[in-house]
Amino acid sequence: MVLSELGRGEKAKIVDLSNIDQMVKRRLLDFGIMEGIEVQLKQRMPFKGPFMLDYCGQCLGIRHQEAARIEIKRV
Amino acid sequence: MMHIALLGNPNTGKTSLFNNLTGSYEYVGNWSGVTVEKKVGALKNKTGQLIDLPGIYTLNPLSKDEGVVSNFFLHDSFDGIVNIVDASQLERNLVLTLQLLEFGKPIILGLNMTDVAKSRGIYINEQKLSAALQVPVVPIVARTGQGCNLLNEQLFSLQSKKQAPLVLDYGVALEKGIAQLIAAMPQELTEHLPPRWLALQFFEGNKNVWEHLSSFMGDDALTKIYEETKTNVQKEENADTLSQRIYRVRRTYIQAIVEQAVDQQTAGAATLTDRIDAIVTNKVFGLPIFLLCMLLLFKLTFDWLGTPLSDLLDAFFSGPLTDWLAFVLGKAGASSFIQSLVLDGIVAGVGGVLVFMPQIFILFFFISLLEDSGYMARVALVMDKIMESVGLNGKVFIPMIIGFGCNVPGIMAARTIEQPKERLLTILLTPLMSCSARLPVYALFVGAFFVEYQTIVVFSLYLLGIAMALLLAKLFSMTILKEEQSVFVIELPPYRLPQSKALFRSTWDKGKGFIKKAGTFIFGGSVIIWLLTYAGPQGLNVDMDNSFLAAIGGWVAPLLAPLGFGTWQAGAALITGFLAKEVVVSSMNIIYHVPDVDSLQGLMATEFTPLSAFTFMVFVLLYVPCLATVGTIRKETGSAKWTYFSIVYALILAYSLSFIIYQGGKLLGF
Ligand SMILES: Nc1nc2c(ncn2[C@@H]2O[C@H](COP(=O)(O)OP(=O)(O)OP(=O)(O)O)[C@@H](O)[C@H]2O)c(=O)[nH]1
Ligand SMILES: [Mg+2]
Repeated sequence: MVLSELGRGEKAKIVDLSNIDQMVKRRLLDFGIMEGIEVQLKQRMPFKGPFMLDYCGQCLGIRHQEAARIEIKRV
Repeated sequence: MMHIALLGNPNTGKTSLFNNLTGSYEYVGNWSGVTVEKKVGALKNKTGQLIDLPGIYTLNPLSKDEGVVSNFFLHDSFDGIVNIVDASQLERNLVLTLQLLEFGKPIILGLNMTDVAKSRGIYINEQKLSAALQVPVVPIVARTGQGCNLLNEQLFSLQSKKQAPLVLDYGVALEKGIAQLIAAMPQELTEHLPPRWLALQFFEGNKNVWEHLSSFMGDDALTKIYEETKTNVQKEENADTLSQRIYRVRRTYIQAIVEQAVDQQTAGAATLTDRIDAIVTNKVFGLPIFLLCMLLLFKLTFDWLGTPLSDLLDAFFSGPLTDWLAFVLGKAGASSFIQSLVLDGIVAGVGGVLVFMPQIFILFFFISLLEDSGYMARVALVMDKIMESVGLNGKVFIPMIIGFGCNVPGIMAARTIEQPKERLLTILLTPLMSCSARLPVYALFVGAFFVEYQTIVVFSLYLLGIAMALLLAKLFSMTILKEEQSVFVIELPPYRLPQSKALFRSTWDKGKGFIKKAGTFIFGGSVIIWLLTYAGPQGLNVDMDNSFLAAIGGWVAPLLAPLGFGTWQAGAALITGFLAKEVVVSSMNIIYHVPDVDSLQGLMATEFTPLSAFTFMVFVLLYVPCLATVGTIRKETGSAKWTYFSIVYALILAYSLSFIIYQGGKLLGF
């Protein structure tokens, strides 16, 4: 399953990040987000707009198209 | 004199500390990427200089502001580092700390945001952290100044300290590569920079370091070592890429430290930030809420607060001040030339703009509020979908909002946009944001023609600016700046209740620029304009219609006729407005030569119709960026071509849109 299928408030473990844009991947790594960590979906904008994720108390926004390329496992 | 660099992740309070220790004021705001260039300030106790730098997550840069820091390391010399670390995000922050430790300059760790950490139930044992990293750790709250004195005292000891670079074991293959690279480095290079640090940054993929190394050793040798090491590391367990390996080793090291030094009591309850976010980034209400905020802002700036205050100021300038000046000048026996210069030129020109100070300061206050609250990043998030549809990303909206205050810092803020194409577009389009300098023009005209619809008319101009920027972004990204994938990742900081002191500091800092401008560009412009109205081909003290200014304005007037304001007065005002857009108002005041704003507005009613007045405002909104903005565009794009382009496209846009509005409006019977 991919991150964009996650519902509001649900948590998931990231399994694979290799399909996303390199620059986005680098930025996510800057926030400490990589394979194996657990994120929570906080909010999603309408019309396939950006996603708000929570990781360790820090909140960040990424695009739907990127979220759709992040493999996850629901926890 | 010692030089100390302030380094840390974005939005961790570096500039807050800088302001505290130097007593100066640099730009503070609650989003990532407020500081975009190097700023130097003298420490209050005069023992040295502090250098504030843009925030970075790692030394390997993605965007231009981050590149500033890499270059600082490579080319500037400094004696020590204060590393500001966000206590509520220790793990992430330490990634940078390790890279700084590998550099081997004396370091103090400023453990900031300890108040935030505490409220989240995170307790950090400073002694343990200090022992593990082998650097002094000082807990502070940079926002209130708590602990800053202690840190200040420790700064002094930095200079005399020796700090051995941290050495981590990155595995056999990578270590071999590092040794190989170090052995190949010429001495001129390693004299100034620590070789192991250079090697690690190089293998991590730091482009600036690569360039620097290649200027000493050539690309071929570097590529060979890089490729070899990459293959060797891949053959090892884990099959990491180079940057992955380096990251993994550092992360493991950090986790061990964090485990020892941090005690986290889980605080599960929803924070205030979560609750506010549930509303302002709501699926349905997010965008309407933003628009409502803007509308409220204009209502306050124009209707409720600004205009009444500005009327009071106007009454003072045109009444007591003018009388008093006339009296003093008369008593001093000033010639009629000087009297006229002061009263008809300077008071009319500069005073006529200063009258609108209340509106401008109220606007600055709200922009500061927006900046310091944390809402800015949310606006970027809410706007992303719309921005994406024109080839930009939501982050671009931050420079644009800053541009509502002044276009110059707006263009600077574009440095944080990662993609070069999007950054260039942001630089080119930010001048379409209606800055505070255009506000006096609006205030003057809406006061004369649209008293009942002030807010709506002004709001429509701001929206028009945004709409044009989006339209052109689409156009440019389809034609001259073709696709390069747009990306968007944004950090959403926790909301912070702005402190009144910081808010006033920040408002004043912006307002100061306006007052300075009144004393320089607007003053100088007014004197020149007055002289041009005073002198003409036939000599001095001529009738204004025969003055040089009338001649100059008359030259462009026919061009402006199809837009509804083909008078020499409008032409002259627009030409002088290139200096600074407020000067448009100065010119009008001097040209129409009336005692106060009220009578000017009365007089203008005979020269303009409501339709041509609106068209004039649209033209002022869009035509050429002001002188200071053009200078900044030149500096930031580094290209004369793009600078000319920014002027030319704006002129074409302003002319065609004004033409459509005026001629269309006439057809519709306005
Ligand atoms: N609660 C709290 N807020 C702080 C503290 N220090 C700074 N802030 C706030 O954090 C925000 C960021 O502060 P800045 O000083 O601009 O941060 P910076 O590190 O210079 O940020 P960049 O220039 O973007 O890298 C501001 O809103 C400050 O008021 C602190 O100790 N506690
Ligand atoms: Mg800063």
